Amino acid sequence: MLSTSSIYILFFTTGVTIGFGHCIGMCGPVVISLSLNLKGGPSVWPHLFYNIGRTLTYGLLGAIVGGMASFTRFAESIEGLQKGVMVAAGVIILLMGLAMTGWVRTSIIFRAAPPIGNFITRFFKRLLQKKKRSLMYLPLGLLLGLLPCGPVYTALLAAARSGMEADTTLGGMLAGSGLMICFGLGTIPALFLVSRLTDLRWLRHRERVYQIGAVLMMMVGVYFLWQGLRF
Amino acid sequence: MKACRFNVSLAGIGILFFSLLIFSVCFTGVCLATEDKVDCDIQSGGCRKQINGRTIDLNIFPKPVKAMQDLTFQVEISGNPLSKAPFIDLGMPAMKMGPNRVTLKKNGAATYGGQGVIVRCKSGKTIWQATVTLPDVGSVVFTFDVIY
Repeated sequence: MLSTSSIYILFFTTGVTIGFGHCIGMCGPVVISLSLNLKGGPSVWPHLFYNIGRTLTYGLLGAIVGGMASFTRFAESIEGLQKGVMVAAGVIILLMGLAMTGWVRTSIIFRAAPPIGNFITRFFKRLLQKKKRSLMYLPLGLLLGLLPCGPVYTALLAAARSGMEADTTLGGMLAGSGLMICFGLGTIPALFLVSRLTDLRWLRHRERVYQIGAVLMMMVGVYFLWQGLRF
Repeated sequence: MKACRFNVSLAGIGILFFSLLIFSVCFTGVCLATEDKVDCDIQSGGCRKQINGRTIDLNIFPKPVKAMQDLTFQVEISGNPLSKAPFIDLGMPAMKMGPNRVTLKKNGAATYGGQGVIVRCKSGKTIWQATVTLPDVGSVVFTFDVIY
C-alpha cells in the first residue's frame, strides 16, 4: 500500500510522462493555437494562466469524482457538457484563427454572430484583443480542462478509487482533488514546452508564418467542432 | 548579420514544420499509436493464451464490451495455484493512457475476478490491450476491440 505522499508523487510523475507521451499529440494543437493567437505578445503568463485553469478544473473534477466515489456515474453525467466544451473549443479556435488572418475584422465577426450573451461577447473580444489578453487564458484553461481526454479519465478512475477508500465524503473529495491537481501539474512541463517552441517573437517576417498558422487554427477549430458533434 | 537572420528564418520554418506535424497528429489521430493486430475477439466470448506451460483464459462482461462502463474481468489459469494474485493492466497499443490496473481476487479454484473501466480515447481508436500478469510467472497480452 502506497503512502498518501507517494500517491501524490506517483500522480505528478504520471502527469509528466503522460504530458510528453500523450498531451503533446492530443492537446498540442490547442496550445499552438493559443500561442499563435498571442501573435508575438508576451506568452509566459497567458500559458501559465491557461495551465493553472486547466489544473484547477482537474482538481474540481477530482473532488466531484472522489465525493461520488464512482467514475462511470460521473462520466455519464458530464458527457453532454464535454460535448459542448468540444464544440465551444472548436468555435473559440476557429474565431481566433479567423481574427488572426485579418480577412475579417473582429467587430464584424461579432456583428454577424447570432445574438449571444454580453458576457461571452466580452470574453471573445478580450481574448482577441492584445490588451488584457493574458488573464483571459485563465477562464479558457478552466473551460478546456473539461475536454474529453483518455488519460484524464484514467486519473479520474484513481480519484474515484481514492474516494471509495476514504472514510468520509469530504475525505474522498480532498483525496480525489489532490490526485488530480498533482496529475495536472505534471502535465504542465510538456504543454509549456510546446508553447515555448511555438513562440515566434524572435523570428523576422513572422507575419507570413502567422497567416499559415491562422489557416491551420481554423482547420483545428473545424476538427474540434466535428469531433464535438460526433462525440 | 544577414546570414544569421537567414538562419533564424530557417529555424522558424523548422518550428512551423514541427507545428504542422503536431497539427497532422491531431487530424489523423495516429498520435504515437500503431495499428496492432487484434488477437482476441472479446465481443464474441473469451480468449485463450499460453505462458510458461499455463493456459490463461480472459473474459470481460457484460457483452458487448463498451468503454466508459463498469466491467467485470475474469481470468482462469491452469496449473498449480499461484503464490500471489494476478492483475490486469489496461492500455492502448503504443499510446500512453496512464496506469489503469484491475486487481483480481480469487473467486474459484483457478478463477480470479475484478472490476475495471476501459476509458474512451478522443482519437477514436478502439483497440485496447489487457496485459495479464502472473507474479513470478510472466505476462501475456490480449489485444481486442471495444465499442465506444
